[in-house]
Amino acid sequence: MTQTGKQSGARIWKILLGFGFCYLFFGFMLLPCLNTLTSIFTVKNAAGQTDPTAVIRFFLAGNMKNYVFNSLKLAVCLVITVNVVGTSLVLLTEYFDIKGAKILRLGYMTTLIYSGVALVTGYMFLYDHDGILTNLLVRAFPGMNPNWFSGFKAVLFTMTFACTSNHMLFLRNAIRGIDYNTVEAARNMGANPFVVLWKVVLPTLLPTLFSLTVMTLITGLCAMSAPTIIGYDAINPEIVRLAGSTAADEAFPQARAALLSVILATFTIILLSVLTHYERKGHYLSVSKTKAKLVKQKINNPVVNVLVHIYAYVLFVIYATPVILIIVFSFQNYGAIKMKTLDPTSWTLINYFGKYDFEYKTPRGKIKQTSEAVTGLFSNARAVGGIKVSLLLSVAAAALACLIVVIACTYIFKHKKSGTILESALLFPWLLPTILICYSYRIFFNSNDVWYVFGKNLYLGKNVRILVILAYTVVKLPFALRMIKASFYTIDPELEDAAKNLGSGTIRTFLRVKLPIILPSVLAVFALVFNELFSEYDMSATFHGTEATTYAMVIKAMTQTDQRAYYNLNAAGRQCASTVFIMIVSGLILYLVYGVGSRDLSERLAAKEKRRKRRELKKRV
Amino acid sequence: MIRLDGIVVKFGDFTALHDINVQVNDGEFFTFLGPSGCGKTTTLRTITGFIEPAAGTVVADGKDITRVPIEDRNIGIVFQSYALFPTMTVYDNIAFGLKVKHLKKAEIQRRVKEIAAKVELSDEQLGKAVGQLSGGQQQRVAIARALVLEPSIICMDEPLSNLDAKLRVQLRNELKKMQKDFGITTIYVTHDQEEALTLSDRIAVFNNGCIEQIGTPNEIYNFSKTEFVCNFIGDINKIEIELAAKLAQADPSVSPENHNFIRLERIHVNTEPAGRQIVAEGVVTSREYYGLYIKYTVDVGSQSVKVIEKNDGIRIYEEGQKVNVVIDPADVMAYPPAAEGEAAS
Repeated sequence: MTQTGKQSGARIWKILLGFGFCYLFFGFMLLPCLNTLTSIFTVKNAAGQTDPTAVIRFFLAGNMKNYVFNSLKLAVCLVITVNVVGTSLVLLTEYFDIKGAKILRLGYMTTLIYSGVALVTGYMFLYDHDGILTNLLVRAFPGMNPNWFSGFKAVLFTMTFACTSNHMLFLRNAIRGIDYNTVEAARNMGANPFVVLWKVVLPTLLPTLFSLTVMTLITGLCAMSAPTIIGYDAINPEIVRLAGSTAADEAFPQARAALLSVILATFTIILLSVLTHYERKGHYLSVSKTKAKLVKQKINNPVVNVLVHIYAYVLFVIYATPVILIIVFSFQNYGAIKMKTLDPTSWTLINYFGKYDFEYKTPRGKIKQTSEAVTGLFSNARAVGGIKVSLLLSVAAAALACLIVVIACTYIFKHKKSGTILESALLFPWLLPTILICYSYRIFFNSNDVWYVFGKNLYLGKNVRILVILAYTVVKLPFALRMIKASFYTIDPELEDAAKNLGSGTIRTFLRVKLPIILPSVLAVFALVFNELFSEYDMSATFHGTEATTYAMVIKAMTQTDQRAYYNLNAAGRQCASTVFIMIVSGLILYLVYGVGSRDLSERLAAKEKRRKRRELKKRV
Repeated sequence: MIRLDGIVVKFGDFTALHDINVQVNDGEFFTFLGPSGCGKTTTLRTITGFIEPAAGTVVADGKDITRVPIEDRNIGIVFQSYALFPTMTVYDNIAFGLKVKHLKKAEIQRRVKEIAAKVELSDEQLGKAVGQLSGGQQQRVAIARALVLEPSIICMDEPLSNLDAKLRVQLRNELKKMQKDFGITTIYVTHDQEEALTLSDRIAVFNNGCIEQIGTPNEIYNFSKTEFVCNFIGDINKIEIELAAKLAQADPSVSPENHNFIRLERIHVNTEPAGRQIVAEGVVTSREYYGLYIKYTVDVGSQSVKVIEKNDGIRIYEEGQKVNVVIDPADVMAYPPAAEGEAAS
């Protein structure tokens, strides 16, 4: 191809890409959200006239304020509890010399492999009015209220322990990055371990803690699965409820949902602006030329040492018990699960595989049969359907997000000015709460008037799957961009020059030189996004589409279907099996990402060589 | 042979190269030398085609290649970082360009093995990941990758700058040997004057986007045309007016109005003056011991002068010791003050 031919080809590609990204940004980020915003001010009163302030007046006069207040209360309390627990976890496993720290760490990290609906239902299994632990506690303390695990405190308790994953990832890294020489210097000047912790270690962790605080605030404000399942009047569940409501039931539900979404978005934008401003300042950069690895600090005072050990193991029990009990009970029959008592004689795989009918005698003495009253997770049509839908939606969305971001990053790194605009556009969804995006999609695309999707109603029938995939993709774009862009920085610009010099064209250079370098990161992002989406509840619940009933929605439904006698008898058991399945999938993904996926070429070649030698040895034998 | 005629390169309003004219002959080891930001890499990238000049032409073997795409120039490059593809084995790195040209597998294999043998890379090393090789081996892979396409010219952009001092010296020698063996025209970019002097047949000294001097290492070192070249190459003493006046008394060709310089090794300590040589009495204020030689700083009253003396193990002077410094006016390198302004502009 001639130079001019190449240039015009590149120009066509650039125009096509520009068109694609504009379509994505305006069509699936800006317009639906703007529609939500304007819907607040375009409600019609009983006389059919537009009343721009009706919703706001309704908000100020009615009980809608309570949802905002409740969410704020939850968010603020969560910041305190999550930071206290999360920081404790990191200090107990990384800073203080605690016996059995490795096992403790394993327990504390369980939230990495199960979260959201799976975790909340797990906690319900333990702490609900007939939960295992509640039963034990009521037996020990007969005066105790069996319904203690409800409302605000139950949500706060659950979310406190569910939201420490970020501490275990980021604060742990921050504390491991501390130069031990600074600790030694402080000790040398007479400071005891707690003074060192307070005056030297914690100040260096402040930037990380600040970021975690903001993220926790946002998580608290946007809480969905815990308030929905446990029962707490927070913003998100109310938005979902209103979105599904009609004007016949209550006054302008959609516009009220929109207002709540916008309030949530405002909080998010303010918080993220504060975070960005703080991050830009940059703090506490290590000035060490040679960093020394942190050595765990012994607690010299025996009483304090014992107390800290007790605290560490109590936390371990809180983290590990749901996991262990759910695994154990997933192998128990429905009777044992119903009674929430471990029965050593009733081990079964029925919660996973197989099905059978249930025969029972009616009060009139008739023998009746409920077909398929007991079904395993992988034999239950609904559960399998949910898994299939979640698998399809998550894989498609994760792949799409990665593809968009890889193409975008290639452009961003070549075109500084227009690249910055593109980057900002892709980060835009970060400013909006997930619920606002999903809610906006549900309302905006539930129409035949959206010309740029060819007048198709995307909320109708199986089309909703496309809508969910788009929502999943858009929501995950900022995360994918941040991670994949970082990997692009690792590409030495001279590699591209070298490939060009050796005669390679743009596409070949990308596929053979650049892509293999960023591929581990892209795969890691794909896996992590898939992992989150596979058991995702908040977004699919907002869409509430029959054709997009995700796995998490099926699991959530399992907490309710046990009510009808002799039907769906082992729903709770299947729920346990579902949680175990999610843990296995998540664990596997994390292993693939951080274990196998992080190997470089030399490690892969070494593994290949090892396999070859093993094969040769086998042949000889 | 490659020739640059009136090359001008601009980045927006900034002119990075001003009228560069240089010719590199066949089989020559030619070095672009200069401080950071002087335009040497820009010139190299103009030759290789990564930068299109605003004016001027690049002529290779009589053909104007100024607008020829990078891949069609038949110029090999060894990058500063070597730019070896980390996700490929050594073999795949070397074979990359051959695969792009859609050569047959057997032919690719033959040529890779051939070049690998020439740069002394074993079969075992060919199967390794590039990350598993040492710095020296990586350099050989980078050279092999560039040479396997049989380029007419090979360009090297500071290929030794990321290595430690000892390895740098070792690889410098290997590089020179390889260039001689292949007989290929080589353009080498460096800011290290020692590297340039030891490796090159000829050197072009760059400053502020211009070439200050082109010449053999000896011409550049001993007959620096400009004050910049004289200062940039090697360590040097600036002779202040008082000492210059003393030298002018001995030899009227030395003018105190000029900017006068003298190399450290041209000054001697406690030797008998001969001819027009002058003697300045001084005191040793510091001594730096380098093993092969010793560097003294001697205060001669009006100024301090640095002197290098061979370490013979006998004549070693202590700090505070009185010595005689002997200077030959013929060794003075003089530049009229106006030249400084010209160079700076």
